[in-house]
Amino acid sequence: MTRLHPFTLLALAAALVALAWLLPAPWGAAGTLAVAAVLALFSGAGLTPGASPGSTGTGMSPGWRPGLVVLRTAVVTAAPFWLFLFILHDVPTTVALGLRITTMVASVVWLVAVLAPARLVEAMVAAGWRAGTAYLFAATLSAVPVLKARAQRIVEAQRCRGLSPRGGLGPRVRALRALALPLILSALHEVDERALALESRGLVPGARRTPLAPPPDRGAERAVRWALVALCVAALVWRLA
Amino acid sequence: MTRLSLEHVSFWYPATDTPALADVSLEVAGGEVVALVGAVGAGASTLLLVAADLAPRVVGGRLEGAVDFRGRGNGEGGRGIVLPTPWTQVSGMAFTVWDEVAFGPANLGWPREQITRHVDRALARLEIAALRDREPATLSGGELQRVIIAGILAMDPALVLFDEPTAELDPAGARMLWRLVRSLAAEGKAVIVATNDLDALPDVADRVVWLEQGRAKKIGPPALLAEDALCAAGLGTAVAVVWRAGGLPRPYPLTVDDAVRLWRHR
Amino acid sequence: MTDALRLERVSFAYGDVTALAEVSFALGPGERAALLGRNGAGKSTLVRLVTGLRRPAAGSIWVEDWDTRDRPPEQLARRVGSMFQYADQQLFARTVRDDVSFGPRALGFAAPEVQQRVGRALAALGLEAHAAHHPYDLPPAFRKLAALAGALALEPRLLVLDEPTAGLDRALRARVASALLERAAAGAALLVVTHDLAFAAETLERALVLDRGRLACDEPLAGLLAAPPRLEPLGLAPPAVAALSRALGLPGAPVREADAARALARVAAGRRAPLD
Repeated sequence: MTRLHPFTLLALAAALVALAWLLPAPWGAAGTLAVAAVLALFSGAGLTPGASPGSTGTGMSPGWRPGLVVLRTAVVTAAPFWLFLFILHDVPTTVALGLRITTMVASVVWLVAVLAPARLVEAMVAAGWRAGTAYLFAATLSAVPVLKARAQRIVEAQRCRGLSPRGGLGPRVRALRALALPLILSALHEVDERALALESRGLVPGARRTPLAPPPDRGAERAVRWALVALCVAALVWRLA
Repeated sequence: MTRLSLEHVSFWYPATDTPALADVSLEVAGGEVVALVGAVGAGASTLLLVAADLAPRVVGGRLEGAVDFRGRGNGEGGRGIVLPTPWTQVSGMAFTVWDEVAFGPANLGWPREQITRHVDRALARLEIAALRDREPATLSGGELQRVIIAGILAMDPALVLFDEPTAELDPAGARMLWRLVRSLAAEGKAVIVATNDLDALPDVADRVVWLEQGRAKKIGPPALLAEDALCAAGLGTAVAVVWRAGGLPRPYPLTVDDAVRLWRHR
Repeated sequence: MTDALRLERVSFAYGDVTALAEVSFALGPGERAALLGRNGAGKSTLVRLVTGLRRPAAGSIWVEDWDTRDRPPEQLARRVGSMFQYADQQLFARTVRDDVSFGPRALGFAAPEVQQRVGRALAALGLEAHAAHHPYDLPPAFRKLAALAGALALEPRLLVLDEPTAGLDRALRARVASALLERAAAGAALLVVTHDLAFAAETLERALVLDRGRLACDEPLAGLLAAPPRLEPLGLAPPAVAALSRALGLPGAPVREADAARALARVAAGRRAPLD
């Protein structure tokens, strides 16, 4: 799966999100969610042992494990939305919106897991995009693993200063608050430093980057991408009609 | 040939009244190593940012005076800066160390063959060829610092700026780095280094700039680090400081060898 | 008296890469040890194990009478104060004072006690002037000191620090040295990972040298620094003062600046030239 061209992966995720909202709920939404879940489950397909497609350094074993991690992350991230929806709306609306949001979340989580920022940059640059723009897209993708790594460091430092991440609701909420602020603060601060650092490494406005290892693009994939676009347009037309 | 000249440069960071640099004039020629020494906050990092054309362009703030760099735009023959704390300068978008070092050259749009040549050479110079296939996130602080330095050198700058390059390196790594600095100068590059490793400077620097509260208090040869004023300010070499603290007369020796020579002639 | 820290044949690996192999040593209260070695020799790994963030694959680590396998890091924090290499990423409160008080508060001390501890920690490092500043408004060197103050405020029985002086100028290094010596005099054991042998010579007394995961040396620091042939294969080199001492043949082979200055003065006054 990770050998697919980055644009194909992007197109799949975008199409799933678009179709989830375009197709009538609840069946359309449920259908797209099912597709998203299947994609998520296969996130590990094609990985060699010790390799990871997106974030660095975890060396997950191939097979089902990455897929299960992706699914679990998606469910956990979407859960609060279901809670709010349940409080605010009646059951049919809750189900409809909930399924759509979950599809969105699942697609994004899946994309972050299977699409390596470096490959996306290479693909965009090979297609003629400017380096700065490509980096902007890639940075958004890598934001999650970078923030995750940072969050882990902060949690570790706090644990070593006596903060317990376990316990009842009270301590957990306190711990979350103690994590959120530094995460955001240091992430924002780092944005400044990163801008400086990247400029120092040649990433200036207007830079035309040389692709080092452009991902191969196959005719079949291009066809699939166009088909997805057509599918979304068709769904849109059908809904409007 | 003068690569960089600062004339009466003052710089204020955004929304601050006190200047981080005040009326600094300095000329650096190709083939020269200039060291910046001073207490934390004295302006060394700021001076490097100004020299790298990152202040005020990217950092914001206000600059007065003239900064003149003679090189060829950005990249080849341009200026490269190695910031302190290597983990902020990592691209975050490289699978391997090789890709990480190639990040800069690729952004400059060089042809593939040229990139490969420069990257391989940089890896060899920093003695990290064995790390080329490693994932950057698995590297130690010292290894990462070498990778970042390699990444900057691979862009073949004419002016190289180092901000605390040995902070994360072990003693062997630090020795390697100082040898590298001398070899860069030998190639004709202009080098400016901000460092607290004063004991290394007599063998490395051609000139030393003493910065205090944004001003260039004194500029001179490394022997400056054995002068009374600098020793009193905590900026002398360890040998000079000890000699002075022992109540022995001037001139204070700069290095162990100088001390031995002085001692023999008592 | 129980040791402040005891490692018994500790081993650890990242996947199939050995990080630590059968490391054993013990630190008594008030003992000051330098953890030395090349980059990648396993020093930071050892720090993570001692703070309880990871469990050893083999062997055990005892912090006084606590086995680190049985205690999560937040509990070990009652006895172990730590500072990691990327200290400036761990700051998160709105002011330095708030950040430093985080530890004592988390441990459950009453407000007046917290105030006192924070005050002492800030004073030890000369940070009172910056106490009300936002951590990210300070240069990285001061952020590092703020992180160290956070560990000091715990007033722990064992302090484990990873490169506390990287990037600091002489004056700030001296502040760190005096703060650590003060803590040790109060009975805390120190384990400091450092490349800065000059700082180690001034502040620490014992050398624990790791080489490819094994403990290659465990001996008094001064003796090791005076023996360049032993330092070289470990990737180390004698700091300037030790080299000066040796070159001039100063009596007592001092490695600390004040001691060397005194020895120099004495020899000069006695008009003895040790080289002749």
